[in-house]
Amino acid sequence: MRGADLLVSYLKQEGITTVFGYPGGAIMPVYDALYDGGLKHVLCRHEQGAAFSALGYARASGKVGVCIATSGPGATNLITGLADAYMDSVPIVAITGQVTSAVIGTDAFQEMDVLGLSLACTKHSFMVTDKDELANVLQQAFTVAKSGRPGPVLVDIPKDIQLAEVEAALTISTKDPITQYDDERLEAAKQLLANAKQPILYVGGGVGMANAVDELQGFVDATGIPSVTTLKGIGAIPNSKPYALGMLGMHGTKAANLCVHECDLLVVIGARFDDRVTGRLESFASNARVLHIDIDPAEINKLRQSDVSLCGDLKDILPALTTTLSIHEWQQYCRDLKVQYNWNYDAPYRSIYAPKLLNQLSEKLPSNAVVSCDVGQHQMWVAQHMNFTRPENHLSSSGLGTMGFGLPAAIGARHARGRQDPVVVVSGDGSFMMNVQELGTIKREQLNVKIVLIDNQRLGMVRQWQQLFFEERYSETILTDNPDFVTLASAFNIQARTITMQADVAPALDEMINSNGAFLLHVRINEADNVWPLVPPGASNADMMEKV
Amino acid sequence: MSLAQHQLKLVVNQSPEVLERVLRVVRHRGYKIDQLNWQHEDGELILTVSSQRALHLLTNQLAKLVDVKDVTELNMMQTSKSA
Repeated sequence: MRGADLLVSYLKQEGITTVFGYPGGAIMPVYDALYDGGLKHVLCRHEQGAAFSALGYARASGKVGVCIATSGPGATNLITGLADAYMDSVPIVAITGQVTSAVIGTDAFQEMDVLGLSLACTKHSFMVTDKDELANVLQQAFTVAKSGRPGPVLVDIPKDIQLAEVEAALTISTKDPITQYDDERLEAAKQLLANAKQPILYVGGGVGMANAVDELQGFVDATGIPSVTTLKGIGAIPNSKPYALGMLGMHGTKAANLCVHECDLLVVIGARFDDRVTGRLESFASNARVLHIDIDPAEINKLRQSDVSLCGDLKDILPALTTTLSIHEWQQYCRDLKVQYNWNYDAPYRSIYAPKLLNQLSEKLPSNAVVSCDVGQHQMWVAQHMNFTRPENHLSSSGLGTMGFGLPAAIGARHARGRQDPVVVVSGDGSFMMNVQELGTIKREQLNVKIVLIDNQRLGMVRQWQQLFFEERYSETILTDNPDFVTLASAFNIQARTITMQADVAPALDEMINSNGAFLLHVRINEADNVWPLVPPGASNADMMEKV
Repeated sequence: MSLAQHQLKLVVNQSPEVLERVLRVVRHRGYKIDQLNWQHEDGELILTVSSQRALHLLTNQLAKLVDVKDVTELNMMQTSKSA
């Protein structure tokens, strides 16, 4: 069999049913094998779209996402998606064509050193140099992508190897994830928990990636420890739990930030002290002892020294730590703050207030809906005002913060999830234009994806910072020359309407949700609306701004 | 600030790009390479690095690389003062 056929048959053997990609010269043998190879291939309209679709597929399903591109520009266009997957620990495998082995290093047409480019933005990468190693490399790529702390892996395959007759031998072993805890450490961790009077769980994306949501919820129910989540941790603990305080950090809830500030034990679960979470690191939970639990040893003591660390699989560790605590006073205090600082949507709005609209949308969607958002103000409003009961239902470019993520990630999620799970994109007028070509993918595949486009005719988050921290000098953030989004949607056979008044919101959301097929709801909002609260750069999380 | 110098021994897979991988991590994580000795046949790399940052921040990142089989600190060589 040809190398290209082996690739397709290997992908099927891995349980892959759908791949995302874009053909080109150096990947043509693979596309020939895909022609009748029995895999669903989704033609995205830009390789970055293919990478983000693979990412959305992986995040919404827990499986490995696969994207395919040609050499040179095809491969370089994948890079941002790989970087995003690297920062958010998402398992994807990118297959790139490479020019024929004999001309590598001669600056051949569409040649680029993709292996070199991949070093900083993948967990690992391969260039296949021996045709009989192809099967081994593919197996290793999937193993690395999924194991330990997941991440993106790139496999660069020269065209001659795609065409060569290959052996399908599989003999590879890979590094086992490191486990660094024992009974003594577990005992020390339990002791920390038992001695704490004001403990807080700081829950990150690692919980969802470890498929340990049930174990976490068991731990929370048993211990009753109040919890906060990172952007990627949203959904791991539903907001409906009495002591779930919501997101912490720069745009976190006041209750979350204040309780973390006052805690005496910070239990860090699959999280990494990102600067958007901690604010000024020295003043973050500065009186707390730290129990850090993570699969990645490099995250332990990276930014904050822990008192006890447990490095391993959260699925095993959380049940082993489960205990009962007596912290009623602290629970009540946290609960009171949660109630005191709860979001309020009662003001009589005439124009549309995006947080209220997103909260209404959240209430209208079933709990199995997937919401994929872009990056900016609307992303923070989704995190603050929509409710999620599973992390795989909230897709948000968290570590890298990549505008243009939302639409292609939703296309990936649409293919990952059954027809009964609605898929909704929440985007902004800036982000939407970054991968707007993927409307072509929605048209081609006739995908039932709903799009809520929050339009303030601004690059809103940058505008907000210009207002607050750059003396209102609105440099290149005014987008009053946006295209007509309804006309744009209609060019792709997508139903659309514009709303401008709060009274229109409920019927328009119903129309969108009940429509057949794709729908774009264009929502005009006031450009002066800001995301609150906000921890200013360099400040402690306890010092949140709540207005201009 | 004190600039600590450390000598590390890495045992690595003999893939063609393994040096690039290691050197990229060393630079990106904030360490300067003072000296290196590379024996391709043995897959053995001896690095002398210096930084104001704690050594575990580098060794943990190096140990994560798929192509790195082992990282050992040979000795802490000296501590110098810099501005």
